[in-house]
Amino acid sequence: MSTLTRRLGRIIKNTRGQFIALISIVMIGVLVYISMNTAFSNLSRSQETFYEENHFADYFFHVVRAPEGVVKQIEALPGVINATGRIQKDVSVYREDGTRAIARLTSYPLPMDREVNQLHLLSGNMFENQAVQIEAVVDPQYAEANQLHPGDKINIISEGRKVPLRFVGTATSPEFVYPMKDASSLLPDPKEFGIVMIPHLQAQQILNMTGQVNQVVIQLTPDTDPKKLVPKIEEILEPYGKLASYPRSDQLSHAALQAELDGLKVMSRFMPIIFFLIAAAIQYILLTRLIKSQRPQIGIMKALGYSNRDIILHYTGYGLAVAIAGTIPGIVFGVILASVFSDMYAMFFSLPQTIGGVNGKVLLLSILLTTSVAGISGWLASRGVSRIRPAEAMKAEVPKIGGKILLERWGSLWKKMNTSWKMSFRTAARNKTRFLVTVLGVASTAGILILALFTSDAMDYMMTHHFTHENRYDYSVHFSRPIASSEISSWWQWPEVENMEPVLEVPVQMSIGNTGTDGETEDELLMGLRTGQYLKGIFDEEGNPISLPEEGILINERTAKKLAVKIGDYVNVETKLGIGSTRKGRLKVMGVNRQLLGAGSYISFQTANHLLGEQGTMTSVLLKVEANKGSITEERLKEMSSVDSILSRQKEKDNFFSLLDSMIYFIGIMVAFAAILGLAIIYNASTMNFSERRRELASLKVLGYTKKEIRGLLSKEVWMQTGVGLLIGLPGGKLLGKGYLQAVNTDLFSFPAIIYPRTYILTALGIILFVWLGHTLATRRLNDLDMVEAMKERD
Amino acid sequence: MDRRVLIRLEQMKKHYVMGEVIVEALKECSLEIYEGELLVILGPSGSGKSTLLNLIGGMDTPTSGELYFNDLILSRSSEKELTLYRRREVGFVFQFYNLIPDLTAGENVALAAELVPDPMEVDEVLEAVGLADRKDHFPAQLSGGEQQRVSIARALVKRPKLLLCDEPTGALDYQTGKVILGLLNKISQEMNSTIIIVTHNTAIGNMAHRVVRMSSGEIAEVAYHENPLPPERIEW
Repeated sequence: MSTLTRRLGRIIKNTRGQFIALISIVMIGVLVYISMNTAFSNLSRSQETFYEENHFADYFFHVVRAPEGVVKQIEALPGVINATGRIQKDVSVYREDGTRAIARLTSYPLPMDREVNQLHLLSGNMFENQAVQIEAVVDPQYAEANQLHPGDKINIISEGRKVPLRFVGTATSPEFVYPMKDASSLLPDPKEFGIVMIPHLQAQQILNMTGQVNQVVIQLTPDTDPKKLVPKIEEILEPYGKLASYPRSDQLSHAALQAELDGLKVMSRFMPIIFFLIAAAIQYILLTRLIKSQRPQIGIMKALGYSNRDIILHYTGYGLAVAIAGTIPGIVFGVILASVFSDMYAMFFSLPQTIGGVNGKVLLLSILLTTSVAGISGWLASRGVSRIRPAEAMKAEVPKIGGKILLERWGSLWKKMNTSWKMSFRTAARNKTRFLVTVLGVASTAGILILALFTSDAMDYMMTHHFTHENRYDYSVHFSRPIASSEISSWWQWPEVENMEPVLEVPVQMSIGNTGTDGETEDELLMGLRTGQYLKGIFDEEGNPISLPEEGILINERTAKKLAVKIGDYVNVETKLGIGSTRKGRLKVMGVNRQLLGAGSYISFQTANHLLGEQGTMTSVLLKVEANKGSITEERLKEMSSVDSILSRQKEKDNFFSLLDSMIYFIGIMVAFAAILGLAIIYNASTMNFSERRRELASLKVLGYTKKEIRGLLSKEVWMQTGVGLLIGLPGGKLLGKGYLQAVNTDLFSFPAIIYPRTYILTALGIILFVWLGHTLATRRLNDLDMVEAMKERD
Repeated sequence: MDRRVLIRLEQMKKHYVMGEVIVEALKECSLEIYEGELLVILGPSGSGKSTLLNLIGGMDTPTSGELYFNDLILSRSSEKELTLYRRREVGFVFQFYNLIPDLTAGENVALAAELVPDPMEVDEVLEAVGLADRKDHFPAQLSGGEQQRVSIARALVKRPKLLLCDEPTGALDYQTGKVILGLLNKISQEMNSTIIIVTHNTAIGNMAHRVVRMSSGEIAEVAYHENPLPPERIEW
């Protein structure tokens, strides 16, 4: 080992506290970098492979019913690789205990080889065409939640008849990676909703659709422009009651997975950068200071004949040592955390080929990143060495030139300030880089804390808003067919029922313009509610309640944006009910509604009926029952064949809470990272400040300053940095949160950028705690500050 | 000399343990120091003069023996009491000035003034050391002699009963050194403070009322000067 290397070892030993602080920051940077990038690349590779191998559709078309022949017609269009016709329909499932669930019955032509949206068998067997009983495979979450075993019966209600299906296995498909019933059920409840997959022929039989399909899914060649092709397909489907057409990006499962991937991508890029940059900045300052204090030694080394390169390498070595010592544990923990992430994603998304394991490229990149960052900051700090001339360097350093700072121009304030504050301000002004780095460090810590904490605020806000303001009912009961309001008037006699409001849901295609055919169209669900309704709250974009007008529409915010309509405009609607003839209408936009969870526009019950040419017809009913009497209502509804599904608000709530619980881990990890970052930054800044001013402080002690006063003097600077850091970090954190949400939010669901004051307070308190701890640790040697040091000659 | 005793040393010893060796920095010393006296402690390096000064200044405690400041037993005082003692009673002038580089001359003096309930006016003290016009200068903008004068002003502003000077001219040239000594002499005469100067420069002893010679950790000799020389007549 060369003497210089040995000397480097001693420098590290002498600054071990700071060295450890630095390597912890680098370690976390590497850990975050590796875990998030590995998780991201694994997840996106799994997604890509699965989509490709199972021919995930590029475009989806829904019609009422069309002859199978249209599929061939569509497939013949240039630009279409494959087209698959199928039947998809939501049906009720009767469980053994009499309760009901909803199954999305989906049909698959056999053999499946060339078809779009192929199934991937996860357990058991695939269904067969010629089986005596109709065989079905089910999505794994539903199977697990309902404890299905091969051979079990699944009873569905189809066309008013009970049809038993034989459960033979579980399977998934690119469109069911995250099975969602609709855009408003962001949190899936696998016990109540599942995907049931059966052979196409048998689906046609039990649904009375022989020779027909109600969906066509297609794959396009990469160079096809859907804008040109889709109208052609829509034209083919026009006679068969076109209900909806949408691209892959609007497919629910895909959108949910993509949102997660986008969020992960943002985090995996931005979080490690914060840690690496701060580590580099601290290292730069530490080395600059070290070199300054070692001027005489550098002079001696030079006088002995060491070259500039030798000496620069010697000090850059410190940075490299930090990089190596931080990267190794960072890699180990990063790989562990990556597998935790992968397991977590496997729980949320059913991706069969979840690619786990170590990503060599990410590892290599992390090593490259840390060493080059360390190398560059080391070189930047030590390149000044070459300017040092041995003869001069061996003499003591010229004292710093004192000077006035900007604040002193504010004479009246400056005069009132006591001397120790003046001292702190001047030191800060003198060491601008250090001050700034510490401030930015504190700000980043605050930003990360807010980012960690605010997700639960947004969730909590959404939950409160969703459950106490938007939806005040206990149950939303859907009927299997539209019924007359009079059919349920007897429900009023149920003693537990407190309130009941009818709903008529009308799926429509919405457009603007006079003809209704040109320009943009949007699929939209109109919810017809009785005016003066209580069980469903409607809110505008600012969150203020709005009342439902007798006529006109309270259009959904996102739909309004897409169609570029504003209050006072008219929209054309065309019903897409699937039964009866299409009806057209024109509605005046009376207001814009915003829903945090869910979609849809509101019209009055009257208007909805008018649109369908009906009177008093409803598709569902909202129920409010006496507290704790819910089970009685559930029992009653279970018996009714006209009831298709029952949505319990309580179950939704429980579901939400379980998600919040799983977020605690994430929050905990982020808070721990922020704590280490904050501690390390303050520890370093205080240590530097303390060791640089030992002599000064020793003289103050001789003058009669108490330890407490000296600590106070030192801490003034730290608190100044903390204050400025918080001033930047708190609003900065909000911006970070907004930026993060922007990456995650989609057309289908969006989180509000809500941050409770509590979060700011908690963040500030957390920062104050980390700062106090870091500062106390750094200045603990204040106790053995030797007054005799003040007498000594300058070294 | 029939003046009041301000400081009394009774068989005071100081040992340092350095690794496995015990260094007797101060062997049994007894001495009385009077109010208003200008005392010079002379001796080569290693003679124990700095140790003695540190003990008197309340920066260290003796290994054995007693040390009194008026009725206060410094040798048995806690750290807190010693801090209070330094704060209220002692002014210190260092060989290398030890001014805070981030504070102006005036602010350096104010820093000390803020420690006591009834300090002198900062301007007045700076005037006394002849630096009224340098008040807003930072240490780096001052000469060595000026910095030492700021250091003296910083010590005086607290109205200390005791002014301790550790080689106050050690880092200064001959002419500047004499100016500083003149200033100390003036303070001694006009303010009636007790001043102790520690130095290895024997010539400085001529301006003192009394000279204590230290050698190998012991008081070797105590000499009285009935008629001390004014500093401007001292040569070295």
